[in-house]
Formats: sequence, C-alpha cells, structure tokens
Amino acid sequence: MEEHKKNAPGRELSFVVGGEVSIRQDPWWWLVVAVAAIIVLLVMLLPVPFREIVLFARDGILVTMVVTVASYFLILIVGLLGGLGRISKNKLIFGLASLYVEVVRGIPLLVQLIGWYFASPVIIQKLGLWLNLQALIEYRPNPIITAIMAITVCYGAYMSEIVRSGIQSVPKGQMEAARSLGMSHFQAMRHVVLPQAFRVILPPMGNEFIALLKDSSLVSVVAVADLTRRGREFMSAHFNPIETWFMVALLYLIMTIVAARVVSYIEKRSKYERY
Amino acid sequence: MPEPIVQIKDVKKRFGRVEALRGVSLDVNEGEVVVIVGPSGSGKSTLLRCINRLEEYEEGTIIVDGMTLDNTSNINAIRREVGIVFQSFNLFAHLTALQNLMLAQRIVRKRSREEAEKIAQALLAKVGIPEKAKAHPAQLSGGQQQRVAIARALAMNPKIMLFDEPTSALDPEMIKEVLDVMTSLAKEGMTMLVVSHEMGFARAAAQRVIFMDEGLIIEQATPHDFFENPKEERTRLFLSKILHL
Repeated sequence: MEEHKKNAPGRELSFVVGGEVSIRQDPWWWLVVAVAAIIVLLVMLLPVPFREIVLFARDGILVTMVVTVASYFLILIVGLLGGLGRISKNKLIFGLASLYVEVVRGIPLLVQLIGWYFASPVIIQKLGLWLNLQALIEYRPNPIITAIMAITVCYGAYMSEIVRSGIQSVPKGQMEAARSLGMSHFQAMRHVVLPQAFRVILPPMGNEFIALLKDSSLVSVVAVADLTRRGREFMSAHFNPIETWFMVALLYLIMTIVAARVVSYIEKRSKYERY
Repeated sequence: MPEPIVQIKDVKKRFGRVEALRGVSLDVNEGEVVVIVGPSGSGKSTLLRCINRLEEYEEGTIIVDGMTLDNTSNINAIRREVGIVFQSFNLFAHLTALQNLMLAQRIVRKRSREEAEKIAQALLAKVGIPEKAKAHPAQLSGGQQQRVAIARALAMNPKIMLFDEPTSALDPEMIKEVLDVMTSLAKEGMTMLVVSHEMGFARAAAQRVIFMDEGLIIEQATPHDFFENPKEERTRLFLSKILHL
C-alpha cells in the first residue's frame, strides 16, 4: 500500500489518505483553536466567575465524557446486532429487531430516561415483593448506569438503522463472490461486507457520536451530575445565569468540535476508491 | 469411461411465476470445455449459478465431483471445488489485488500467510499482471479486474471453473486479454463451463457448444457442427442474429 501511494500522487484514482492532523489539511481546526482561546482568556482575565465555573464543573465534564464514551461503545454493539437483525432472513429475528427499532425511535429520549430511572426500579421492587427476594426489594438504581443503559437502548435503535443501510449499500455481488469461494455467511460478512459497510457509515456514525455528546445533557434530569447539572447547581448558588450558561455552552462546543475533527480525520484515513 | 464431473439431471427452477429452467440435463466430463449460448433470459446464467448453488432449484439433481447438491450442509465443500467468474468481476473493493487472492485461501483453505501470498503472486504472474499486486480494484481496468477475478478463483485450486459472461462488461479492446487467459486455462485441461457469446473462444477452446432457449437445452454439438450446420430452426435464427456480419 505504501508503495502505491508514491506511485500515484494526486491522480484521480490515487488512494486517498488523510495523513497527519494539521491545520493546513483541515482548516476547521482554527475553530477549535478560537474556542479554546476564548475559554482560556475568560478563565485567565475574569477568574470570577469563569475560573470558578470551570473548577466547579470539571467533575461534570468528566461525567459527561464517561457517559458519552461508555454509551457509544455499547451503542456500537447494539447497533451491529440490531442492524444484522434488520437484514436477517429469519423472520423472528427480523421481527424483533424491527419492533425494537420502530418502538424505541418513536419515544423521546427524555421520556425513556425518566421512565428507566423512575419506573423500572418500582417494577423491579414489586417483582421482588412478589417473588419475595430481598435483593430485588432493596434495589436502588445507580443513576449513571441507568442513564447509560437508557441512552444505549435509544441510540442503539438509530445505530441499527445506520448499520443496516451500510450493509445494504455493499453490492450483492460482494457477498456472492465471497460465498462462491467457499466462505460461510459469517466469514463473508466479517471479512468482506462489514469492512466495506463500515467505511460507508463512518460519517453518520460520527454524527451520532456528536449528537450523543449533546444529548447526554438530558441525563442531568435523572440525578447524574454531568456538566449541565453542575452548571445548574452553580447558577443556583451564585445567581449568574449569563456567565454560567455561556461557559457551559463553550465547554460543550469545544468537546463537540474536537470530536467532529477527529471523526473527519478518521474518515479521511479510511477512504478507498470504490468501483 | 469415468464418471462425468458435473451431472445435471432434469433441473427445474422458477423465479416466482417465471420458469427459468424447465428440466435441464447435462453431463460435463473432466477436462471438458463447454460453451453455453442463448438469448437473454434463456436460463444459461441461472444454470451456471445452480451448479454452485448461488441459486437454489426446485426439482432435479446436480452432482458435482461425486457430491450431490441438496439442501444439506456440504455446500461450502462443493464451492471450494467450483470457481466462478462473474460478469461484473465482484472483486473485494476494500482489498488490494493480492489480498483479494489471499483472503479465501487463508480463511477457507487455512493456508499460511506465506503460502497464500506465494500462490497469489504466482497466479497474478500467470494472468499477466504481477505488477498490480498492490493495486485496489478501482485502480485497475476492467480487463485487469477480470483477470484478477479469474486468478482469485484459481487460487482455491478448483476442479471446475464457471464463467458467467466474463467479457460482457468489458470494453472491446480488453476482451482479448481475458479470453487469452481462459484459452490457456482450457489448454491446461481445466474443466470449464462458459456462458459467453465469444464465438472465437468457442471455436478455439470448446469441445462442445450448447444452445439454450426458454429454460431448455435446444441443441448441443461440436463448435464446428454447431456453427456450420445447426440442426434446429431456433438455433439458426439465434446464430443469424449474433453472427450478423
């Protein structure tokens, strides 16, 4: 592969490789620099309240990141299984996957989060009473784990559809050729279809990550001390809504635009020519 | 007389209401080259695809190298013995030419990386494009892609090679390079079933030409007899259309 890059630089058919992360190749990094500079300047020049906000909310930033990354990892697994289910020839698997996608997509994430957090413990406790199991009766939900689970269930449905569309974008002949060489369906999926589908769905997958990072702010309603919730706590204590939400917005913005740059870098790295 | 390597008995296949094959019987001996011609929709490609079960069929039997193709589990065993080359090449777009040749060797034939690579390089040399090993399919011309596809099928050491209109998607100037590879393969004694309207290839390499129409075999003969003295009216009509010069 290395050799080839040298042989065909810049030609229409040349292998496209992004290479280094540099401002020259991706001018949007200037936006990241600008936003970072604003944050740093505010913190340095106006430590009250901006430095205080950042210090107060830093554990919230960490929680937001943990919830986002952990959920995203689980979403990828659910999305792969759901997407394979949505193209399954087995009617039961197809039916279950489709039902999951259709139902979950039709309910707002906020409602799902609140439902999981407030309703599911009651159901588990009632079940415990009925079965007379002490462990279930004393069940108390862990906010972060419940939130991650609720987000995974919801976003997993969207991701399933992305994976399905990616698999269906790979020409049928690829699977046929693989099968005709004696590969099993599973081997053909793993070595031929999914690697090609993955490159197609990278942009929407990246999109989901950025949307997820922002939607993770909804977990603040179910007792998770994320960036949004910490911002609200700071505002209530100091009565300065303008500064607080300006800084919280900047902190979200820096996270999302860095994520967007990383996504775009990965996209460039993994492009290849299709015929 | 040894058993024919491919035995097709009264095979019927329908797509919904369309009868694609209406009872086809055909034996192919080891080392034989059979060219199948016929108008579009005559079932010739479907017949080919039934031989390695890319299509299922409703009635009849197909026995390949002593193994009966039924709905039991030996399908991957048969596919290892039968290579197929498609009209649209179907090279794995995310892999280089060399990797295209190595993938199935590694995971189906369980060959070591070194062995698979050695075989792949040798086959790319055999089809005349050793220098394209590191190229991706999109960087190759149609003729080069089809030659890689032939090499990919050969890398599995098949006993039978099926060609489904291998030159139909090619620009005219690239047809010869693919037919040359096929002709030399025929000379080496490979058993080949070729759906193609390349009459030059049929004359040069085939022992038998089969004419199919509306899901049936209408006529079969040696290339000489087939082109010079076709017996059936429908064959004559068809030949007059494709040999329009």
